[in-house]
Amino acid sequence: FSNGNEINRISSLLVQHVAGTANQASGQDVYNIRGGLDNQWQFEQYAGVLENTNTLITVANTATSPAYSGIAKLLKAYNFAMVTDLWGDIPYSEALQGLAKLQPRFDRQEDIYKGSADVQSLDALVKEGLAEIDQQSTLVPSAVDDPVYRGDLAKWKRMGNTLRLKLANTISRKEPALAKAIIDEVIRGNNFIASNTDDFQVPFGGTVGNRNPIYDFNGVNVTGSVAGQRELDLTLSQRLLDSMRTKNDPRLPIYFNTVPASTAGSTTTPLGVFYGYQNGNNIAAPTAKANRSKYNVYFTGNAGEAPIRLLTNFQRLFIMAESALILGTSTGGSTVQGLYQDAIRASMSKAGISNEAIETYFANNPSVVNLSPATDDATKQKNLNKIITQKWIAWVGNGYEAYNDYRRTGYPRLALVLNAQGDDPTKIPKRFVYPASESSGNAANAPNPVPGTIEPVWWDVD
Amino acid sequence: QDRSISGKVTDRQTSEGLPGVTVLLKGTTNGVSTNSDGSFNLNNVPAAGGTLVFSSVGYVSVERPIGTDNKLDVGLATDSKQLSEVVVTALGIERDTRSLGYATQQIKADQISQKSEPNVLSALQGKVAGVNIVTSSGLPGASSNINIRGITSLGGNNQPLFVVDGIPISNDLDRTSSTLFGAQQSNRAADIDPENIESINILKGPAAAALYGSRASSGAVIITTKSGRNANKKLEVTVTSGFSLQRVYGLMDLQNDYGQGTGGINQLTNGDPNTGGTNSWGPRFGTTPTLANGLLYRAADGSIQEQDYRAYPNNIKDFYRQGQILQNGVNIAGGNADQNLSLSVNNTSQKGVTENSKLNRTSIQLGGNTTLLNKLRAGGSVNFIQTNQLGPQQGNGGSPFGRLNVVPRSYNLQGLPYIDPNTGRNIPFAGGENPLWSLLRNSSTSNLTRFINIANLSYEVTPWLNVAYRAGLDTYTDRRKQIYDISSTRAAAGQVIDQTLFRSEINGDLLVTLKKDNVFAEGLNANLLLGQNINQRRRQEVFAQGDNLTLPNFYNLANATTFSNGTSEVNSTRRLLGYYGQLSLSYNNYLFLELTGRADQSSTLPKENNTFFYPSATASFVFTDAFKISNDFFSYGKIRGNISQVGRDADPYLLNTTYGVATQGNNVASVSFPFIINNANYAGFDIGNRLGSQALTPEFTNSYEVGTNLGFFNNKLTFDLTYFKTVSESQILDVSTAPSSGFLTRTTNVGRVDNSGYEALVNITPVSANDFRWDVSVNFTRIRNKVLEISEGVTQSQIAGATFTGTSPSFVVNQPYGVIRGQKKPRVTDRNSPYYDQYIINPATGLFAPELTNQLISNPNPDWQAGINNTVSYKGLTASFLVDAVYGGDVISFTAGTFKGNGSLEETGKNREAPRVIPGVIANADGTYRPNDIQVDAQSYWGSFGLQSDLNVYDATVYRLREVTLGYTLPKGLLERTPFGQATISLSGRNLFYYAPNAPFDPEVNTQGAGNIRGLELQGSPNARNYGINLRFTL
Repeated sequence: FSNGNEINRISSLLVQHVAGTANQASGQDVYNIRGGLDNQWQFEQYAGVLENTNTLITVANTATSPAYSGIAKLLKAYNFAMVTDLWGDIPYSEALQGLAKLQPRFDRQEDIYKGSADVQSLDALVKEGLAEIDQQSTLVPSAVDDPVYRGDLAKWKRMGNTLRLKLANTISRKEPALAKAIIDEVIRGNNFIASNTDDFQVPFGGTVGNRNPIYDFNGVNVTGSVAGQRELDLTLSQRLLDSMRTKNDPRLPIYFNTVPASTAGSTTTPLGVFYGYQNGNNIAAPTAKANRSKYNVYFTGNAGEAPIRLLTNFQRLFIMAESALILGTSTGGSTVQGLYQDAIRASMSKAGISNEAIETYFANNPSVVNLSPATDDATKQKNLNKIITQKWIAWVGNGYEAYNDYRRTGYPRLALVLNAQGDDPTKIPKRFVYPASESSGNAANAPNPVPGTIEPVWWDVD
Repeated sequence: QDRSISGKVTDRQTSEGLPGVTVLLKGTTNGVSTNSDGSFNLNNVPAAGGTLVFSSVGYVSVERPIGTDNKLDVGLATDSKQLSEVVVTALGIERDTRSLGYATQQIKADQISQKSEPNVLSALQGKVAGVNIVTSSGLPGASSNINIRGITSLGGNNQPLFVVDGIPISNDLDRTSSTLFGAQQSNRAADIDPENIESINILKGPAAAALYGSRASSGAVIITTKSGRNANKKLEVTVTSGFSLQRVYGLMDLQNDYGQGTGGINQLTNGDPNTGGTNSWGPRFGTTPTLANGLLYRAADGSIQEQDYRAYPNNIKDFYRQGQILQNGVNIAGGNADQNLSLSVNNTSQKGVTENSKLNRTSIQLGGNTTLLNKLRAGGSVNFIQTNQLGPQQGNGGSPFGRLNVVPRSYNLQGLPYIDPNTGRNIPFAGGENPLWSLLRNSSTSNLTRFINIANLSYEVTPWLNVAYRAGLDTYTDRRKQIYDISSTRAAAGQVIDQTLFRSEINGDLLVTLKKDNVFAEGLNANLLLGQNINQRRRQEVFAQGDNLTLPNFYNLANATTFSNGTSEVNSTRRLLGYYGQLSLSYNNYLFLELTGRADQSSTLPKENNTFFYPSATASFVFTDAFKISNDFFSYGKIRGNISQVGRDADPYLLNTTYGVATQGNNVASVSFPFIINNANYAGFDIGNRLGSQALTPEFTNSYEVGTNLGFFNNKLTFDLTYFKTVSESQILDVSTAPSSGFLTRTTNVGRVDNSGYEALVNITPVSANDFRWDVSVNFTRIRNKVLEISEGVTQSQIAGATFTGTSPSFVVNQPYGVIRGQKKPRVTDRNSPYYDQYIINPATGLFAPELTNQLISNPNPDWQAGINNTVSYKGLTASFLVDAVYGGDVISFTAGTFKGNGSLEETGKNREAPRVIPGVIANADGTYRPNDIQVDAQSYWGSFGLQSDLNVYDATVYRLREVTLGYTLPKGLLERTPFGQATISLSGRNLFYYAPNAPFDPEVNTQGAGNIRGLELQGSPNARNYGINLRFTL
């Protein structure tokens, strides 16, 4: 839920998947993001998911049910990764201890990812979780209490291994050797998410209180659907629209709805008419929601039942392609190009694109789907650009992952939004600012002065 | 040769005989009391000369030389400023005010009755020194907040204890909806009908209320209802009736030159104003219609049409209707001090100032006292109250008021349809609710049934020993229903919430009184009271929430299809056991000393810390009597002082960290468990965000108070002056913790809040001729409140309650309680810069640089407040008017912010076409500044003020003509041939005029209702002005 809520909204604006057309989103679109994720830190993460995974670990230990504590550790690692990726140095090893540690130490992001004498790395936490899933467990999850994998522990293990890939991939530019070792180890283990049906995604229901947060916020232009709370705040970004329409990307009408041809300022494509909005623009978008291209059913469901996709098969393939290209990791029997093309295919078929349509796309866009065989650095960068740009398109609906990739690699090349403001109107923000509740409530440890939005996190090398 | 003198004493106003008046031959002990009809007969009076003194509580004493007469009739005038009168103090003990070492102020029935104001707290506004009362709005049943001598508890309840006829009752709001929006719930003391009240005594400091223990640490409001004991043996029937009209006032002035649109262009689809947005930045009225400015449009058939585009100057004002209040009551009372009976039936029926709002309250009280055996007395009363309230929701966004404020100046609110005739749904206006639709379809009802029952038994064992028991039960059930119809903004699929709140409080006091005169020394009288108290409060709240309604306009849970959200139950029980004692000593009726002590054992504290003791000592010295310096100029002088401590226990269930039904998200997207996916139900509980504590100890307030009462010119000029200081320490509070600890707050004993202040009450009777009398009563209060300490490392914390992110009512170290932290436009902070304190402007836009968050922007605490009440009476004619003033303090107005941003406020229409430059400076690259020279248009300029910024904070200073009453009591002679014993007719008006020098609206509003959050106007109803006619007669 947290990934799909405010974190997705702001990060999707920053990577220009969507543009802000009203209320807070308009400000966040022009980089006024201070305070924007305070509630995610406070309510959704530390006092929410993280404290509850911690509680689950404690309860599972007393009930000698390591299957639960193992899963809890995977979830805890995923969420701590999200927090450190967005905020940098964070309370980690001493966090979540209540009265025992009212002011937890801030751990360096480097230690959180790599581990140190008294900090367990996220990778080690995942491995510990995976080991516990294998242990004898008094209670085991089932379809009754596990809405994600319905108690299938094998799939949880695939999720955990894919999470290791993602974590290693995130630090691969800062720590290439470590990343390579982990990625090769996971590929050797060959127990990662290997098909779209194994994707780690959180399902939602279609009634009030159970809906996908993208739907709850933004709604969907489907007749009979319930209006989102802020249905006019987010609209398709012209940047993404241009990228996808020039390649006739069949995912475009799956991702965003078309608008009537009479809509002022709309763009006509062979896939239909779309209304895209320049990020940061200060002209008014059409008042009627029918005249805007908003997230389509793929992200919202007809009534909010679409899942929030967190770790996926296409992500695994993109990571393997990138790592093989840059780090020289194993291709697992394929080639860089083969992995890359499989990743695009996985993304498209996940979006429901037919095999014929996928092949048409491949046939019409050879320059997109084929990587150059040359191995000089300049060509590698061009190939990397292609991989990450395709990954960026695949990650629409999960801005957090695209934002990580963008900060890590600089791809796709994004222009500054119009009318940029924020801490520095000449830079795309590189992190979020600690909430006041943490910097004043944990004054002994919180960095002072608080790093602003343009200071890169540790793994963000340039 | 002695003679006897007879005569009759009457009330000068009513000409009725006055029983119980003391008639004394001056300079002797020879005296009698008048009979039930006011007649007296005094024997053994010397044949010539002498003076008779007539005195009675509540009346001005009269001295008459008697010469050689045998007959003397006297009329006494009522006295509203008795220096020495009997008041009801803690535990219902009646005391002479001269013996009190603390400040109290008594309000008589005539000060609150027949004032066109159904809420007794609102009726007290401006009348009591040291007391701050703020109404939340003019809606029927809207709550009033009362704080006595400032706020002492950072996290707890700061409302005083309410006591009716000796037993504590609830004044809670029982808030069940967010403080950000939802209905205006009533404060439960409003269930007591003002017409049924005989007197109210306000015990201001902890010392005055020490015997009530922890719950009265914010003072106590002691209400005595009407009983038959002052009746006059015969059965008397009093009928009261009042009819008042209500109108809202304090609406902001709006412009009427520009209509719907943005950037000077009116953008509608097919000429439908519902498609045109909420701004009034359109073309000026009268502009030549063109396609470019949107006043001409191409219709669906291709033809060019002209829009109906003109001002609707009253579209917002006419949203409100004229309300009315009808109050009727009958009181039947009879008996005497030993045997009496009374029955009161009162009804208030109010039609609110908005459509679909009303209040109906009926109370029936039957009470009586009797002497069973010679020494055994029994009494009691049964009070049944039914209060039904219906009203709209309030708040920013999807409430009628939030939507009303975004109606453009050219929108024909009253003329356009707002209900889709086919579906019953809202016809959306600018993508949201039409305010009229919200008024009808998103409402909240409360149906409350309450019993306040009291039983007393006392036995006089010996003349010096009395044993009494008093038991009370205050119980009520409130059935509430809150609805959002299908297509509403807050619950688009429709929502019905049914809530049943049950509360019950049982209170029992055992009182043993011992008294002895002339102990140890002649003139030294002692009175010892020992008591034991049990108190139990139980509550149960059951919420049933149904979402996804099937049919519109049908608000039955059976109409819903989802029941998993918000359906819940809350239970709590708390018990308190107290032992107390009070020793009162008086010496020759001019020197008084009183010591009290109370030990409480509370169920809400950890076992090892749950018993706590606190003492108080008060002293009072009437030096004019002691030194016999009374003369015509300096008539009365008393000094008093006290020191006291009061402990307070915790709220229930703070000791543990609790689990609850899991939810995540906020107002724009949220999930809650049980989670339903494909008809599979996933239950889920999660750990709460608050850490409990097993180490809690009670919190203590220490108070010091000194004061004096002075009377001059035979008490025609009196002063009652008080200085007080309270220190409240080791408060039980949820303090913010670093979220990374896994919790957002923890309950602990921390913090210190100090209050100090002055109160003054001055009564003047400039003229008191035979038939003409003019009384002036002035009260003044100045309180300084300061939060000195929160907890280690914490310098600020948010006041409990839902608030807008970014506008947080808070307590901050070294600031007064309740300051609001929010967004502030940045200014130059370099003191050496020539542009120090000027706004910093964004060079790219010419508008304000991005706001700084978490800044102190507003302080809701007034500097001082005062009231002046004038009463002039001539024979049966009485006129009174009350002017009050609140000076200083701030209020944040979202309404003003909205009106600025959407171009509705009057100011935004002035010079609209002219470009403007925000006064401010632009930062140069080298760190210096240059004046801003960037021109912006009016829309950008006003839009940049924002909603939650310091630019929407207003000084809440307001002077007000609070109350005017004109009454006429018909002369007795006129009524002789009628069945009426007495008849009074009066006209009354409330809130007739206000003057707020620094705010474009009446700043005395608080959308949050009664509670610790003050100074926020988050788009609610304005206040109402009432004027009415009242009738009272006796049979």
